[in-house]
Amino acid sequence: MTSSDNPIPPKPFNPAPAFIAVWFAVLWASCLGLDISFTDLLTGMDDMGEYLSRYGTPDFSDLSRYLELLAQTVAIAVCGTFLAITFSILLAPTAARNLTIGPLAYRAAREILNFMRAMPDLLLALVFVAALGLGPLPGVIALGIHTAGFLGKFFAECLERVDPGVIEAMEASGAGRTQTLMYAGWPSILREAAGYSLYIMDRNIRMATVLGLVGAGGIGLALHDTLRLFEYNEAAALIIVIFVTLLAFDYISSWIRKKIS
Amino acid sequence: MAKINMCGVRKTFGNGHTALKEMDTEFQTGTFTVILGPSGAGKSTLLRLVNGLEPLTSGEITVDGIPVRGKNLKKIRGDVGMIFQQFNLIGRLNVMTNVLVGRLWNRPWLTSVLYLFGREDRAIAEKVLMRVGLAEKAWERADRLSGGQQQRVGIARALAQEPRVILADEPVASLDPVTGDNIMQILREICDRDKITMIVNLHQVDLAKRYADRVIGLNAGEIVFDGTPKLLDSSILSHIYRRNSVVKETTPDALLAYA
Repeated sequence: MTSSDNPIPPKPFNPAPAFIAVWFAVLWASCLGLDISFTDLLTGMDDMGEYLSRYGTPDFSDLSRYLELLAQTVAIAVCGTFLAITFSILLAPTAARNLTIGPLAYRAAREILNFMRAMPDLLLALVFVAALGLGPLPGVIALGIHTAGFLGKFFAECLERVDPGVIEAMEASGAGRTQTLMYAGWPSILREAAGYSLYIMDRNIRMATVLGLVGAGGIGLALHDTLRLFEYNEAAALIIVIFVTLLAFDYISSWIRKKIS
Repeated sequence: MAKINMCGVRKTFGNGHTALKEMDTEFQTGTFTVILGPSGAGKSTLLRLVNGLEPLTSGEITVDGIPVRGKNLKKIRGDVGMIFQQFNLIGRLNVMTNVLVGRLWNRPWLTSVLYLFGREDRAIAEKVLMRVGLAEKAWERADRLSGGQQQRVGIARALAQEPRVILADEPVASLDPVTGDNIMQILREICDRDKITMIVNLHQVDLAKRYADRVIGLNAGEIVFDGTPKLLDSSILSHIYRRNSVVKETTPDALLAYA
C-alpha cells in the first residue's frame, strides 16, 4: 500500500541563494553610493590610534559632579519609564483584540501606539528641547512617548494571549470589561509585563545618556561639553563612568528578569 | 428556583452552519438535566445560549420569564453560574480570589477592580469554599491545585454567584473517573439542597444514568430523545449517537461551536 512506482517529484525551487545575492547587491550599491572605501580605513589607522591615545589618562578629579549627573540621567530614565508604563496600562487593553471596546477604538489605540513607537526618541527630545527649553523634562517626555509605544504594543499582545476560556468564564459570571481586565487580564501577564518593563528601563538608561547630547539633561550634556572643549581626559573619565553604570544596570536587570520568569 | 423556557430556539453561525434547529423545551426549577449527544451535536451551543454567551438567531429563551438578551444579560449571567471542562480559573490568583470572581456581577466596579470586597461577599466565598471542601486551600494559587480540586473551585465560583441555574459544559471530561464521579455527586447535592436548576453536558452515559432526573439526547442540532434516564437503552443510545446525519465541518468557526 505504502510503496509506489511514482518517481521523486522535481526538486522545489530554493529561493535562499537568490535572497543572498540580492542582499550583497544592495550592500555593494550602498557602499558605492556612500563612497565608502576600505583603503581610507587602512590609511586612517594611524590617525585613529593617535586620536584615541589622547583619552589615555582619564581624569576623575570631578567625579562627584559626574556621579550627580549620572544620578540625574538615571532619574530621567526612571521618570520616562514610569510615564511609558502609565500610558501603556491605559492604552494596551483597548489595543488588545480580545478586550477592546470596539473595532474603531481598537484601530485608534493601535495607531496611537504605532505612532509613538515610530517617533525616534532623539528626535522627540530635540523637538521638546526646542519647545520646553534645556533640562531633564524634555528627556523624560521623549523617552516616555517613544517607549510607551513599545510597552503598549507588548502589553496588548500579552493580553491577547490570555486564555480565552478564562475571559469567557469572567463574562459568564456577569463581570464587566474592567473587572475582567483586572482579574483575568493583568494578573495573568504580570510577570511578562514586569520583565519587559525592566528591559525598557534598562534601555531608557542607555538612551538617557545620549539624550544629554541634544540638551535634554544628564551626563550626556557634560560629555558633549568636554568633547567640544577638547578635554579628552575628562571625557575619558565620563565615558568610563557611563560604561560601568550601563554594564551594571544591564547585569542587574537581566538578573532580575531571570528571577521573575 | 428558576425555570428556563426555550421557544423556537435556532442558532446559525456566521459560516452558515446551523448548530440548533427550532428547539422548544423547558427546564423545570430544581431539576437535574443531562444533555447527551455526539461531538458537534450542539450541546455547548445550547448552554451558551442560556446565559447569552452566544446570541440567538431566532426564537426566545427566558429565565424565570426574563428574556436572555440586551440589558438583561448582566442580571441573567449573575443568576446563571457556569462550570467549564477546562475549569477556566485564573491560574496566577489564589483560590479565594477566584471564588470571589463569582461576586463581581453584584459589586460596584470601582471597589471591585481594586480587589475590595464587602464582608458579606467574603462570608459567602468562605462558605462555598468550605462546602466544596477546599477551605484549607484558600490562599493557594489556583494553578497549583489538581484537576479535581480546580473543578471544585470552579463550582465554588459558580455557587458564590448565588445562582438559580448552573450550566456545566462537560465538567468531568478532563478528570479521571473517580474524581469525575465525585464532581457529579457535588453537583447533584447542590441541585437537591439549593433547588438550583442544573443543566449538564456529558459524554458519559453511566453518569447520566446515575445522576440525572431527565436526559435530553441531542443530535445534529435536534432533540432526538427526551425522557428519564431509565429509558436509556442501547437502541435509544445508538439513535442519540448516530453519526450519519452529522455534517462534517472543519472550518475554525464550526470547530469552535463544537468546543
